[in-house]
Amino acid sequence: MLDNLSSSLKDALKKLAGKTVVDRAAVDDLVKDLQRALISSDVNVKLVMELSKAIRTRSLEEEPPKGMNVREHVLRIVYQELVRLVWASTEVRLEPQIILMAGLQGSGKTTTTAKLARYFQKKGMKVGVICADTFRPGAFDQISTLCNKINVPCFGNPQEKDALKITREGLAALKEQELIIVDTQGRHALEADLIKEIIDLNVLTKATHRWLVIDAALGQQASEQARRFHEAIGIDGVIITKMDGTAKGGGAMSAVAETKSGIAFIGSGETIEDLERFDPDGFISRLLGMGDLKALVERANEAINPEDVDVNAMMKGKFTLRDMYKQIEALNKMGPLKQIMGMLPLGNMQLPEGVYDVTSTKMVRYRIIMDSMTSAELDEPSLINSSRMQRIAHGAGATPDEVRELIKYYKMMQRTLKGLRGGQGGGKFNMQRLMKRFSGMQ
Amino acid sequence: MFGGLREKLKAARERLGGSINAAAARAEPGGETIPADSAKPPVPAPKPDAAPGTAAAPAPEPSAPTLVQKMKTLIIDRELIVSEKDLDDALSELELTLLESDVALPATDAIISSVEKNLVGRHRKIGESVDHLVVHALKAALLDVLGQGFDLKAYIAKHERPVKILFTGVNGTGKTTTVAKIGSWLRKEGFTVVIGAGDTYRAGAIEQIAVHAERIGIRVIQHQEGADPSAVLFDTVDYAKAHKIDVVLADTAGRFHNKANLMSQLEKIKRVMKPDLVVYVDEAVAGNDAVTRAFEFDRTVGADAVVLTKADMDSRGGAAISIAHTIGKPLMFLGVGQAYDDIMPFDPATVVEELLEGGA
Repeated sequence: MLDNLSSSLKDALKKLAGKTVVDRAAVDDLVKDLQRALISSDVNVKLVMELSKAIRTRSLEEEPPKGMNVREHVLRIVYQELVRLVWASTEVRLEPQIILMAGLQGSGKTTTTAKLARYFQKKGMKVGVICADTFRPGAFDQISTLCNKINVPCFGNPQEKDALKITREGLAALKEQELIIVDTQGRHALEADLIKEIIDLNVLTKATHRWLVIDAALGQQASEQARRFHEAIGIDGVIITKMDGTAKGGGAMSAVAETKSGIAFIGSGETIEDLERFDPDGFISRLLGMGDLKALVERANEAINPEDVDVNAMMKGKFTLRDMYKQIEALNKMGPLKQIMGMLPLGNMQLPEGVYDVTSTKMVRYRIIMDSMTSAELDEPSLINSSRMQRIAHGAGATPDEVRELIKYYKMMQRTLKGLRGGQGGGKFNMQRLMKRFSGMQ
Repeated sequence: MFGGLREKLKAARERLGGSINAAAARAEPGGETIPADSAKPPVPAPKPDAAPGTAAAPAPEPSAPTLVQKMKTLIIDRELIVSEKDLDDALSELELTLLESDVALPATDAIISSVEKNLVGRHRKIGESVDHLVVHALKAALLDVLGQGFDLKAYIAKHERPVKILFTGVNGTGKTTTVAKIGSWLRKEGFTVVIGAGDTYRAGAIEQIAVHAERIGIRVIQHQEGADPSAVLFDTVDYAKAHKIDVVLADTAGRFHNKANLMSQLEKIKRVMKPDLVVYVDEAVAGNDAVTRAFEFDRTVGADAVVLTKADMDSRGGAAISIAHTIGKPLMFLGVGQAYDDIMPFDPATVVEELLEGGA
């Protein structure tokens, strides 16, 4: 099902591929598919609507930056809008503090508490844990077993029913520790008594951080629950748990948007070490069910900088081997072709598996051959006669045939550029087309 | 828990009714809408041979040309055909409503297309109430998805003792609590029960189930942490046979459906204890992932019934619909709170009736 979905998103993106003008209908299609992708990742429906509206407006109104085609332009906007939502990273300082854990039943607070204790312990802090869960049987056994394994002192009393009393005693007992984590009982926003309890705990502990633990699978309820918790104690960070399952964590994203906080950590496994700082890129890619968007956007930005590719010179009709060299360099910077293709969430060139390798090897060869040319040859390729060809081949450890092939390729590129200039009136240097040429060579 | 969904469905229903009414209004060029709720019974159709005369004769109503058309409509189109276009807006609203209620995308699509199929192209008699039509379509769609309930008492009565029930599900959905609640419920219904502490992985899980069992007066068979769950549960079944106990409730550790090793451990448990019922436990607040994991659990170890926990957190209950739609297995119980009594048998007919009540 989800595969269908991300492939429909890919189809929508494909429609934008190769277009130089933003097509309203195509953008609408894309936005619709995007909505479905986000909703099926459990992002709050209202949030999705707001998001998609912003993306649509920006896609239609903003000019695509130079060297970026429409598809990349829209993708970039999608990415930026999503990052804007989650990327208020919660600062985690290594200094004395008290962390209060909050969350629904079964979201994984206790396990996460132990993981956090381990995290800070490894950073060299003296950590203590208070078990303020007086309700669930076995809660103290669970946390104390986990803490014993990592030698973290754990305060609790399974006989005591008053969470406040335990916490007060715990704070006194653990005052030697620099960082204290208070694990609490699971509760949901409609349980007034329990909400009051956590408000009291917050007042009592004067907690530095109040982190909301959210199950990655939590659905549309996330916003509402987060809002109530936020009203009660002022959530300043979210921890997403169970990311090792197949859930996408859209609920947690809604919670972050609701609390205007950030995602502090991600829990993704059953052992005590399985806690990671939040990485927005991986998260968003997972949310949309496609490749690593950020890397693509960044690499495209970096690779196509105006100095590398002198568009003007090429447009003026002067396309030399030197320009081609730069192009190949630019492509190289983006990494092996195959990797680039993997990052493109669209696979708009359906090339057979082997082709990537040959193509990128060939580009390396070309570069080496060009390294054996003189400056004059690079600027004026017509100088290259058969004796020069021999010399270049020798220098590059290649055969004259390969050099000939390179020249052929160069001429083809030149023709292409001429065609562009003639046909589309000031058409831009087009990465897409260049890549197509490369694949055409095979 | 379905309160929220009910409110929303009601609104959506009104919308749907509205769309059809609007369609009806469009179908009547006279502009005078034939009330769909049959408050005004259909005007007795004039005899066909009267029509030619009306054009010339003074019309009983002010606009003469439309009257002819209107009569034509009455005579020829005694039924209205609901078209796809009429429903577009209302259906997309219904779609949003379902999505907001955590009904997963595939289940939502199924319900929408069911309602659409039921309504589009349907000949609606002029006198027939639109509301009736819509309620009927929605009810059919929801019942279709929710299927039948599951009567545990009847099941136990019909089967050889001990009836062995294995509980499965991902981490943190409330399996252990559910086992305790069902144990307590069964005891009240007069059955004898033994619990197998099959969660030997999570720290504190054995203590948790032991405390629960002690409180509700049920015997627990347990090994120590880290033991082989198959062995624990095998012993539990043995114990039940030896002591002529009616029901074995087998708790297991939570596991994710994408962890091959843990899933094969579950398969082993199933081979060893040969449960009569595999009950899949998930939470009502789960979103779209409910579909994926229910499917995977059903595929690897099967599921005969579903228990939905934390239904008190959720006023919408879309996960029930998602899961039922995905694996087509009946919902047996709803967990609705933290106390042992906070569990109720699930009856889809009643729920759907309740959801849509106060309409037709």
